Amino acid sequence: LNAPVRRLAVMTLMLGAAPALGQGLVTSPAPESVSVSVYRAPDRSSDEAMDLDWLEGYALVTERRTVEIPAGKATVRFEGVAAGLFPESAIVTGLPSGVREKNLDADLLSPRSLYARMFGRPVILRRTVPATGAVREERAVIRSGPDGAAIVQTQAGFEVADCGGLRDELVYPEAPKDLSARPTLSIETESAVAHKATIALSYLAWGFDWQANYVVRMNPDGRTADLSAWVTLASSDSTSFGDAETAVIAGEVNREDSQEGEKPTGGALVLQCSLAPKPESLPPPPPPPMVAMPAPVAMEMADIVVTAQARKGMVMNAPVTVQQEGLGDLKLYRVPVPVTVAANAQKQVALAQKKAVKLEALYRADIWEDSVGEVRQLLRTRNRREDGLGLPLPGGSVTVFEPSSSGSGEMLLVGEGGLADRAVGEDVEIELSAATQVTVTAEEAGSDDRSRTIRLTVRNARPVPVRFEARIALPAGSQLRGASARLDRKDGRPVWVAQLLPESSKTVTYMIVNPH
Amino acid sequence: VAESLAIGETVEGQMRKVLVLVGALAPAVAHAQGTGASAQGDVSLTIYNNDLALVQDVRQLALPVGRHRQEFPDVSAAIRPETVTLNAGGTGIVEQNFDYDLLTPDKLMDKAVGQTVTLVRTNPATGVETRESATILANNGGTVVRVGDRIEVLNDYGARVIFPSLPAGLRARPTLSVTLDTTTPGARPVSLSYLSRGFGWKADYVALFDEAAGKIDVQGWITLTNNSGTTFDKARVLLVAGAIGDGSNSYNGGYRPQPPRMPGNRPGIESANRESLGDFYVYPIAGRTTVANSQQKQVSFLDVGGAPATRAYHFRNGWLSSQTEPQSADTVLRFSTSKEAGLGDALPAGTVRVYMRDARGQPQFIGENAIGHTPMGSSLALKTGEAFDVKVQPVLEKRDRIDSGEWEKTARFRITTPGNPASEVTVENEKVFWRTTMTYKVTNAKSAPVTVEVVQGGLDNWWHDARVPSESIKGEQRSADERVWQVPVPANGETTLTVQFDTRY
Repeated sequence: LNAPVRRLAVMTLMLGAAPALGQGLVTSPAPESVSVSVYRAPDRSSDEAMDLDWLEGYALVTERRTVEIPAGKATVRFEGVAAGLFPESAIVTGLPSGVREKNLDADLLSPRSLYARMFGRPVILRRTVPATGAVREERAVIRSGPDGAAIVQTQAGFEVADCGGLRDELVYPEAPKDLSARPTLSIETESAVAHKATIALSYLAWGFDWQANYVVRMNPDGRTADLSAWVTLASSDSTSFGDAETAVIAGEVNREDSQEGEKPTGGALVLQCSLAPKPESLPPPPPPPMVAMPAPVAMEMADIVVTAQARKGMVMNAPVTVQQEGLGDLKLYRVPVPVTVAANAQKQVALAQKKAVKLEALYRADIWEDSVGEVRQLLRTRNRREDGLGLPLPGGSVTVFEPSSSGSGEMLLVGEGGLADRAVGEDVEIELSAATQVTVTAEEAGSDDRSRTIRLTVRNARPVPVRFEARIALPAGSQLRGASARLDRKDGRPVWVAQLLPESSKTVTYMIVNPH
Repeated sequence: VAESLAIGETVEGQMRKVLVLVGALAPAVAHAQGTGASAQGDVSLTIYNNDLALVQDVRQLALPVGRHRQEFPDVSAAIRPETVTLNAGGTGIVEQNFDYDLLTPDKLMDKAVGQTVTLVRTNPATGVETRESATILANNGGTVVRVGDRIEVLNDYGARVIFPSLPAGLRARPTLSVTLDTTTPGARPVSLSYLSRGFGWKADYVALFDEAAGKIDVQGWITLTNNSGTTFDKARVLLVAGAIGDGSNSYNGGYRPQPPRMPGNRPGIESANRESLGDFYVYPIAGRTTVANSQQKQVSFLDVGGAPATRAYHFRNGWLSSQTEPQSADTVLRFSTSKEAGLGDALPAGTVRVYMRDARGQPQFIGENAIGHTPMGSSLALKTGEAFDVKVQPVLEKRDRIDSGEWEKTARFRITTPGNPASEVTVENEKVFWRTTMTYKVTNAKSAPVTVEVVQGGLDNWWHDARVPSESIKGEQRSADERVWQVPVPANGETTLTVQFDTRY
C-alpha cells in the first residue's frame, strides 16, 4: 500500500467527523413565550369561508428566547419556529452586540443530497440475494453523481448498484453535518464576554387565517335581533404555539408577492440500470428506501376547539371576548387570555355580543331599463350605538335565524350572507338569499325616438307587510321623468320605495329620456 | 489486499474498516474533489440583482512543466463556461473545456462496447455466484455480449456486469478543465474568474413607524440567495445594486408601462456616501462570510433612527366610476431619503415592511410595499394598506350634454369640377361637452381629524380640454388627466366634495 495516500484518507475522515464550525454554536430549542397575530388571507372575500387545507393568510410570530451567548463569534440556531416562515422578514433584537448576519439554510438531508455529498467516499453496499434472502455487506466507493446513480467501485471493479441479480442498498457511515432535516434559521453574532441574552425573534409565516362569523337571531318583534360575533382562527402550520398571546388583525394590509416558504432541496434518489428489463417473473418488490425518510406530513383532520359556546336554554358565563384596539388604520382584536395556537387546528373566541340590535328587513332589486335583477332579502341597520351596534365590524359571514312560527321557541335558519369591513357610523347591509314570494316585473309601456316609458310592478304573496326597494340604473346622460310615485335618490340612483300590504301589489311608471 | 487488512466486524471496527478501504481502493480518492473539503481558493463574489454573480477564485496550484490538463473542481454548478478566464504566471492556455457528459449506467455500458468485462451470475436458488469473462459486442436497446463462444443478451436479473475501469470522458458532475502549457514549474497563484447564475440579492427594510411622534426607525438588510448548487467558503462578498445586461435583449427598448403612480414619489438628486461602480452603488459585506448552497443570508447595511415620516390617505377614482358602497382609502406612509430630513442614504430595490407598536408596546405588522432602486434625496409614498375607518364613496350624480356655443373647424375641402371654378368647403362642428357632476363622500370613523387626498383620473382622454366649472374645495390640476383635492374630514365626521367636470367624453 501507498503510505501517503493512506495518511490522507485518515485525515479526511477525521475532518469529516470533527465539528463543522470552529466557533461557538448555540441552539435555542424553543421559545419561552410567544405571541401570534393572525392576518386574513389578502385575496379571500369576507364572506368566503376559509379553506382549512390551504390557508392563505399569514401571521406575525414574536418569540422570546433566552440564549447563553459565548464570548467571541457565535452562531445561534433557532429551532421550533413556524414551518411557513418567510426568512427575509425575520427580525432579531435584544443582542447587545447586534446581529452580524442571519441565515436560512435549506440544504436538506435527503437520499439525493446524501448520495451527492458522499461522492468519492466509502460506503457500504448491502447486497441481498432475492431468492434466498441471504445478505452480505461489501465496501464500495461512490463514483457517479446523483443523476447517474448508482455507479460504485467495489473490490472487483466498477459496477452499477442494484442492477443484475442482487438487491443492493447503500449504507453510509455518517450524515454530513451541514445538511439539516428542515430549513433552519440562524444568526451570527460576536460578543466580547459570555452572557445570557433574552432575544426577541419575530417573523411572518404563512399558513394561518382567520374570519369573523356573525350569528343574527331575529326577535319575535321582527325589528330587532340579538347578534353574536365569533372570531375563528386557523393554523395549518406544523408548529404549535402553546400559551400564546394571540391577536387577529382586521383591515386590508398590503402584501407584495413572496414565495410561500422554502421549497426543500434534494429529494429522491433514483437508481438506474441500463440492462433490458425482463418482463416476466418479476422479483419481489424492492426493500424500503435505503434512508428512512420522515413520512410526508399529511394535513390532519381539522381539530375544532370551541373555547366558549353559547347554548340556548343554559345559563352560561359570558364567553371570553376579544378586546379591540386601533393599530394605525387597522383593527387589532386581542384574545385576553393566553391560548394555544395548535398545529393544524382551528379555534373560536367571541368577538362581540349585542342585544336588541335594530334591523330593518326588506326586499331589493336592481332595475336596468326594462330588465329586472334578482329580488333579494336584505337586512339593514346602521353601525351606531343608537341602533344597538357602534363597533368596528370586521367582514365575515352572516347566518340569520328566526323563531319558528309554531311558537315552540325553536330557531330556524332563514338566510346566509356576507358582510364587508364596516366602520362605526356606516350603513350595514346584509344581502341574504333570493326571494321567492316577492316578485317584480318591468315592462315597456310605450316609447318614442327619444324616450321609453317603463311600468314597474311589485307583488307580495306573503301574509305579512313587506318593504321593497327598486334601485333604478340609468344609461349615462339620460334622465328619469314623469314618475307616477315619489322616487328617492341614493348613491346617484333613483330609488322607489314601496310598502306592500299582505297579498298586494304596487305599480310605478316613469319615462327614461335620452339626451339627443 | 483490502480483505486481509480489515480488522473485525464490530461496530467499533466499522470506521477503521472504512479507513482501510479508502487506502485499498483506487488512488483517485486522494483527489480533493472526493474528500469533502473544497478545492476552492481565495474566493470573492460580486453579486448582481438579476440572477448573476462574478466569481473570482485564486487557487494555489503546483503546475508541472509542459502540456498538462488541469481540472478545476468545486466551481459553481451554474457556471457560464463561456465566461471563464484564467490567469497564472509562467504558463499559457492551450484550451479550455467544460465537460458535461455525465457518467450514467447507460453511458457506462455504451462506452464499454468492445471491452472485456466480468459477468457475475447468481444462482437464484442457492445464491452461489459464478464469474466469467465476457466481451461487450453492442448496446442498442439491450446489451449483447460474447461469453466464450456463445452470444448472449443480458438482462437485469441474470448477471451483474463488472467493468475494469471507468471511461475517461465521462464525469460525475460538470467539470471545468484547462489544458496548460507551463514553462516554469512549481506552485503559483492561479486566478480563475467566471460568471455564474443562481445568485441574487435584494434589500429588505424593517420600518418601525411611531405615528404620534411622526418618526420611523429603518433597518436595511441585504438578503442574498445562493441557488448555484455550490457552497463558497470564507468568501469576500460585494453586492452591486443593479441588473447588469438586463435591458440589452429586451424587445421594446426597456419601456415598461407603469401603473398609476402613488403621488408623493419623487426621485432624488443627492449622492450617497457609498462606494459606487459606474452607475451602481456597491455594498461590500465586512469580513469574510460563507455563502452556502440553498442558503438565504441577510446582512445589515442601514440603521437609521428617528427619520421624519407621516401617514396620509389617498383615493383615486377612475373616470365615470360610481360606487354604491364606500371604498376604503389607501393608507400611505411618506418619508424621504434625503440627508437633511430623511434616511440619508440611497436605497437598493427591495421590500419595505412597516410595523407599529400596539397598545402593549409590541410591534405589529401593518403592511409592506416594494421600492425600486431609490437615489438619496427621494420622496417616497408607500401604500401600506387600506384604512378601516376612512372611506370614500364616489357617486356620479348627473351627466348632461352641453352645447357650448363654440364652433371649431374640423375639415376643409377644395372641390374642382371640370369647367367650373374650384370651390372650397369648410366643415365646422359645435364643440359638445358633457357636464358630469360627481360627489365624493369622505367619512372618518376615527377620533382624530384626517385629510384625504382624492384624485379623479381619466379627465384627458386625448382631448386636452377638460374644464372644471365648479368644485366645493379648490383642487389642483396635477396633470391633464388628473385633478387632486385635499379633503379635510373632522373626527367621527364626513365631508362631501362636489365637483363638476366638462369633458368631451
